[in-house]
Amino acid sequence: MPKSLLIISRQAPWSGPNAKEALDIVLAGGAYDLPIGLMFMDDGVFQLAPKQNATALQQKNLMANLQALSLFGVDDVYACHHSLAERGISPTSLAVDDVQALSADEVRILIDRFDQVITL
Amino acid sequence: MKFAIALYSAAHSPSSRRALRFAEAALASGHEIVRLFFYQDGVHNASSNVVTPQDEQDLTQQWAAFVSHHQLDGVVCIAAALRRGVLNEDEAARYQRPAVNLKAPWELSGLGQLHDAIQSADRLICFGGP
Amino acid sequence: MSTLHVLSHSPFSDTRLGSCLRILGTDDALLLCGDAVYALQPHSSILKTLEAKSDTLKLFVLEEDLLARNLECLPWATCVDYPRFVELSIHYDKVNSWL
Repeated sequence: MPKSLLIISRQAPWSGPNAKEALDIVLAGGAYDLPIGLMFMDDGVFQLAPKQNATALQQKNLMANLQALSLFGVDDVYACHHSLAERGISPTSLAVDDVQALSADEVRILIDRFDQVITL
Repeated sequence: MKFAIALYSAAHSPSSRRALRFAEAALASGHEIVRLFFYQDGVHNASSNVVTPQDEQDLTQQWAAFVSHHQLDGVVCIAAALRRGVLNEDEAARYQRPAVNLKAPWELSGLGQLHDAIQSADRLICFGGP
Repeated sequence: MSTLHVLSHSPFSDTRLGSCLRILGTDDALLLCGDAVYALQPHSSILKTLEAKSDTLKLFVLEEDLLARNLECLPWATCVDYPRFVELSIHYDKVNSWL
């Protein structure tokens, strides 16, 4: 049984390469068919905000990578409900489909469920 | 116990020193380090172009000496390294850059090496931030 | 399953400690190192937050960072060196460093 890995992504999408580099770990793990989970927390939930415009900053659109998650076999995608609420983002209007919003208790249970965790 | 150690901050960050002291203590206690993996700004720890003032700790030198002495597997993420100008001879030639600043004991490789280390280790320990 | 959460950012300029305390389980522990040890700053609001959890919170602090900042360990917390840090990382099922 391969070990499972949870990535907790805490960085906003427009603050340098950190958000993309966190996602790259997830996609690489998915490409190797490893059990990978991804959770957005704190400013990381801004990655899920609707109608973002990468071209305004001449950036590559991170959204394409986020939407490719299921193609890479990564279906365990979560967001911290508290972080979404704090930032006024509705869990029903996220730019990525099938993201599960989790309470603090559920976040703790999620971390328990994975063998290793990386918080970036 | 088998450790995989990942470092995400540059050599001038306190977390680089913390990671090295942890790695030293792990080996001193009889544990094994299956791989060191440098990602994000951690790739700067493998740069041979860092010049530290003489009265300060030279972490890049200490890391290289530590890895060489214990014959550890020191892997630097190639995508993160290219982005930050840390190049070995092959990559400097490939992208026609004038300087090579990554040499043995360090190796450039992909994120698969991080996943591989996580699979073979009992514990993944990450260091980064300040 | 238990998790050792490791923090190194100052809690006075950062949201990591708050987020971490929110999801910390009863079997989990917290290790403060680097600027995160400023959480032990006497008379501070953060210290009050920690003190309020002293009954249930398993708190470890990296000794060198306390010494460097002239801070004292709390009676209910445990000061650790690197060998003990290694032991903690084995005692807990996983280590979650908030990078």
